[in-house]
Amino acid sequence: MTIPSLGYRRTDIVAPKELVTGLDAVADRMAGRWRRRDAILRELLAEAEQVDRLAAEWQHVSDRRLQDRLAEFREVFRRANRAQQDAALREALAAIREASERQLGLRPFVVQLAGTLALHRGYLAEMATGEGKTLTAGLAGVLAGWTRQPCHIVTVNDYLAERDTGWLRPLYRFCGVRVGCVLAPMDPRQRRENYDQDVTYTTSKELVADFLRDRLVLGPWYDGARRHLRHMLQPRQALDGYLVLRGLHTAIVDEADSVLVDEAVTPLIICRQEENVPLREACRVAQQIAAKLERNLHYETNLRYKDVTLKPSGEVLIEQECEALPGIWRGPRRRLELVKQAITAREFFQREFQYVVHEGKIVIVDEFTGRMLPGRTWREGLHQAVEAKEGMDPTAPSETLARISFQRFFRLCARLSGMTGTASEGAGEFWHIYHLPVIAIPTNRPCQRTVLPDRVFADAASKWSAVADTILALHQDDVPVLVGTRSIRASEELAARLAEHGVEFRVLNAIRHQEEAQIIAEAGHPGRITIATNMAGRGTDIRLAPGVAEHRGLHVIATERHEAGRIDRQLFGRCARQGDPGTVHAFVSLEDELIRRFIPRAVVRTLVAALRSGQPGADRLARLAFRRAQYAAQRLAFRQRQQVLKTDTWIDDALAFAGSNRYM
Amino acid sequence: MSDFPKTFSESWYRIAGKRVWLRPHVQLQRQFFRGRKWYVVRDAFSNQFYRIRPPAYEFVARLTRTRTVQEVWEACLKRYPDEAPGQQEVIQLLAQLFHANLLQSEDPTDSARLFERYRKRRQKETQSRLVNIMFARLPLLDPDGVLRKALPVLGFLVGPVGALIWLVTFGAALKFGIEHASELVQMTEGVLAPGNLFMLYVALVLIKVLHEFGHGLACRKFGGEVHDMGVMLLIFTPLPYVDASSSWAFRSRWQRILVGGAGILVELFVAAVAMLVWAWTGPGTLHSLAYNLIFVASVSTVLFNGNPLLRYDGYYLLSDLLDIPNLYGQSTQQLRHLLERYVFGNRESESPTPSRGEAAWLVVYGIVSWAYRIVVFGGILLFLGKRYLMLGIIMAVICGVSWVIVPLVRFTRYLASSPQLERVRPRAVSATVGIVAAVVTLVGMVPFPCRYAAPGVAETVQFSVVANETPGYIAEVLAPSGSQVQAGQPLVRLEAPELRFEIAGTETQLERARALRLQALEGSAANLQPIETHIAAVEKRRRHLEVQLDALVVRARHAGLWSAPTLELAMGAWAKRGTELGQVVNTTAFVFKAVVSQQEAARLFGQPIRRVEVRLAGRAGWSMRVTGLDIVPADQTTLPAAALGYSGGGSVAVDASDRSGVRTKEPFFLVRAAFSPAPEVVLRHGRSGRMRFEFNPEPLMQQWSRKLRQVIQKRYQQA
Repeated sequence: MTIPSLGYRRTDIVAPKELVTGLDAVADRMAGRWRRRDAILRELLAEAEQVDRLAAEWQHVSDRRLQDRLAEFREVFRRANRAQQDAALREALAAIREASERQLGLRPFVVQLAGTLALHRGYLAEMATGEGKTLTAGLAGVLAGWTRQPCHIVTVNDYLAERDTGWLRPLYRFCGVRVGCVLAPMDPRQRRENYDQDVTYTTSKELVADFLRDRLVLGPWYDGARRHLRHMLQPRQALDGYLVLRGLHTAIVDEADSVLVDEAVTPLIICRQEENVPLREACRVAQQIAAKLERNLHYETNLRYKDVTLKPSGEVLIEQECEALPGIWRGPRRRLELVKQAITAREFFQREFQYVVHEGKIVIVDEFTGRMLPGRTWREGLHQAVEAKEGMDPTAPSETLARISFQRFFRLCARLSGMTGTASEGAGEFWHIYHLPVIAIPTNRPCQRTVLPDRVFADAASKWSAVADTILALHQDDVPVLVGTRSIRASEELAARLAEHGVEFRVLNAIRHQEEAQIIAEAGHPGRITIATNMAGRGTDIRLAPGVAEHRGLHVIATERHEAGRIDRQLFGRCARQGDPGTVHAFVSLEDELIRRFIPRAVVRTLVAALRSGQPGADRLARLAFRRAQYAAQRLAFRQRQQVLKTDTWIDDALAFAGSNRYM
Repeated sequence: MSDFPKTFSESWYRIAGKRVWLRPHVQLQRQFFRGRKWYVVRDAFSNQFYRIRPPAYEFVARLTRTRTVQEVWEACLKRYPDEAPGQQEVIQLLAQLFHANLLQSEDPTDSARLFERYRKRRQKETQSRLVNIMFARLPLLDPDGVLRKALPVLGFLVGPVGALIWLVTFGAALKFGIEHASELVQMTEGVLAPGNLFMLYVALVLIKVLHEFGHGLACRKFGGEVHDMGVMLLIFTPLPYVDASSSWAFRSRWQRILVGGAGILVELFVAAVAMLVWAWTGPGTLHSLAYNLIFVASVSTVLFNGNPLLRYDGYYLLSDLLDIPNLYGQSTQQLRHLLERYVFGNRESESPTPSRGEAAWLVVYGIVSWAYRIVVFGGILLFLGKRYLMLGIIMAVICGVSWVIVPLVRFTRYLASSPQLERVRPRAVSATVGIVAAVVTLVGMVPFPCRYAAPGVAETVQFSVVANETPGYIAEVLAPSGSQVQAGQPLVRLEAPELRFEIAGTETQLERARALRLQALEGSAANLQPIETHIAAVEKRRRHLEVQLDALVVRARHAGLWSAPTLELAMGAWAKRGTELGQVVNTTAFVFKAVVSQQEAARLFGQPIRRVEVRLAGRAGWSMRVTGLDIVPADQTTLPAAALGYSGGGSVAVDASDRSGVRTKEPFFLVRAAFSPAPEVVLRHGRSGRMRFEFNPEPLMQQWSRKLRQVIQKRYQQA
């Protein structure tokens, strides 16, 4: 039997509010500030303290009685009566806390309770690594699960989704909440089953892909009311049976800054391969022509915006080259476009920075985490251009069937909240795009991290030798060292340099990621040297071996500053977890990409001269330049993300005639 | 990331498989503009137009119910490998067509979205109505049926026959008008008199109705539909309008021009007929109406309809004559392009036109029309403000918001977040800041010479009117007019025969009296006394007459220039006593009397004056330094010469009820200055000119704000 409202809710999406502009944006920004003012945190902590006190009352209640009471709370939360829910919230949370202690053996700290409250109220909770985000999300999951509205807890990867579900299942069951998890290998039936649970753990990729697949199934019948009418008229053509999602309502996103900011514009695409011989052929020819062009002679590159401008001489050369070619090479427009693309592939897409060649295929490397992203391709033609550059046979381009960026997807969730270790830097953006106020939950125990001032070098060579020296010195002292590099190539080069000194070290990057868990487990051992790309930054919890914490803890060395300060902080967050000691030290040089892209050359030259001559205050100025470059980079990135969202929204609006495609 | 853009789009999949096609009521028409082919897409229902280039046309024309967008695009690409629109362009094109409601799709459209769009459009319309409150339009009726019926009867007028009638009538009227030009000009004085305003308005409405029907008929004649007629509030004056925009789809440029010009032609024709009526009638209502018709038709044609700088008929005519559609929009785009390209250094900015000539036209038009609008609207505001203070302020606020604040905000937003400026933003911002800073410095800080010129007249210190003390016939001019004369030099001789007779008469009386006295001496001495008295009286009278006789030769009282230009003509005429025969003017010492308004007087009294000079009308190239300045401290109301007042052709407002033309409306201060004459400038008594006061240099901002304050003060004091 179909319950109309159920079918309706499956696809009912509240259209997200348009981005505000102009004066409204100013007012909105102020509203955002107000929503994340300091008093909010104080109130949350005070409330959490109250819950903590209430929890004492539950300690002597029998399991049976506790479960009964939890079931009563569930009924309160199922009724969408805000006032009743608010009245019951503290007591309910205290009961859940007791349940957690009995079922999981873990008693949530006050700060975790505060985190739960923040998630429940739709905040983005900034919580440091090792502070128990999983449990925090679990408690919030119980509250959300009680409402029976679809609740998705979005984790970083399948492994975590499965692990968290398994670990928290007893708690959920005890609280009367059904929980499931959706993993990549599951078939639609399994997916549907798991999505039908009260709370579903899954990854953003799976969730968005399922959303898109559902949309494809629906086609023009995405509107619940229309679909229901059609179902009544033509009962055989029911679509609801093919849908896997139960709808979108609550989403709790782990590592929210990664999903909602860094990956925000990454589109998730459902596609099928299609044969397009002309394009493949064209890419090859374009590559051949591009090979004859020289930088600065025939074209100019813009590092900041990563694009290419052809000079007249270049255009003439291309014209000459194309004289004998057929078809699309005749007119100037298309051929310039293709050749430009080939040049872009050569100039800005470098092996072991943006991609690696893995098993004879181009695999894109995530610039933020350094992880490989198998199966992902660059946009139309560019992927083929890179393949042509690598001398491979261009693969068939895929035909997009549906596509949505994470940014747009998560804006569709009615109740969005999230957790991450680093959010403050993007607080403005979280509010502007998602209306998510950021709140920084303090750590349970005071943080004992020492942040040493950055060491600035005039050139990369001196930086790397200083990095190597520091590593060796720390190694002598039996301090475990984690070195973060930005690219795979940098990590390999540092490895080679250390190998010369004959010390033992481990490398963790996209190419050598098989023993990841093993390497991470040992990274906290005394005297261990671990070189990792940024992939070690997020989500990895490096536990210290016995004795290390008493010594000096983990020493983290950053060998470059990232475009976003958040990413740096992620790496720094690997040490000094849960009150352990730890040291953070960044080594930067004026030849770093960040500086080359965002600081005018004249300024860099002056700084280099000042640094070389050892002028007092030169390194302070250089640090300032880095901060400025990071600011510029983040601003540019934000602008671009905003622009993408604007374009997407425009297209959504403009192509309303292709009605079936709404939100995909 | 870079935008390579055009051939492929990431959003292509959303429309690739769709089947869309143009709605049946959409018409496509080919047109040529400056030799370039265009297609005009016309929505027959809403009478809206879109112009597309042939490649887009090739795509749009191929859309059918049976083919998907992907198929159509591929077909286009095959046929026109280079010109065919890229995917991005196709998306934009389809979106635009869909927004204009010209596309039909096989899928059910997103009706919620449609309603949302409808709501937004209504909102925008309301907004624009508020912004254009000075030109609000109220559609009333559909004249198409009437025009359709009128066409068989009146259609011949749009054609050679009509042209002939028009030419003959207009020619006759023109001839007549030239012959009676002075009368016509003279009558203009009474046109704006309050008593005539109603008649003027009747004429205006009458002529505008005919004007609009002219448009409608011409448009209908060439097959265009005319569905909208109503009332337009032109600066709160209700006037008829008709929407003949369906003519934009005409393929022939000359047809478009004719439709656009039909209104003016009708108006001129009406004016011509009215001219003939005016000529054949005597004073009366008809006569006066005819005159008003002539006046309205000519003034409105010159100032409004024929003027391409306002968006009336003249604009569309010019647009068609230059063969540049959307002249105004494109010229704005072109100016913006120039700014982006050359000031902000955005090399990717593209001009709306590839043709140099067209670009030049656009630039010229853009600048001139902006300047003109500012002047005209400024004038309208001042006019309104003068008449209705409150209304003027409200309008000023509305205009200030829509013409100053809104563009400023828009420009700031454009500067801050326009994607076109992404790469050049630092330069764009610094260029803007630089320009603004330069202007502010120039206007607000750099002192500029600060001058004030007051109108006045040159007067001699010594000046006498030469008049005869004795009446007589003018007999002889002893000193030629224009010659320098000395004091006491005879100027004119008069003849007075009666005087001589009288003198002779007194002689006789005297002789008789003397004889009587001798008799009395001999006879009765008692009679002697009265006779003596009599003699004395007669002698006295004779002396008196002799003085009078002497005075028949009129002499110069002082040295100077003897000026009696009309005396020669009066030779032999009788001159009563005291008749002005001419003037003797001392040409060596002059004063200049200047009239200074009250507002400026404060500055004159309070601020140090650097230099004062006098320039005379007609000899403005020579300035004469003022050697002594004397400000009469009390305010006056009588001008030193009528030539300074409005009625005498001067610039000082005078009381209209005063016949002499020297009583001013407002009191003023008189400044008297002695100056050293320049040898090149021939000074004449009563010659008008200006006295220029130069103050210490002041920034322009200060000077302007003072002027503005003065204007406002002056306006609103009277209100």
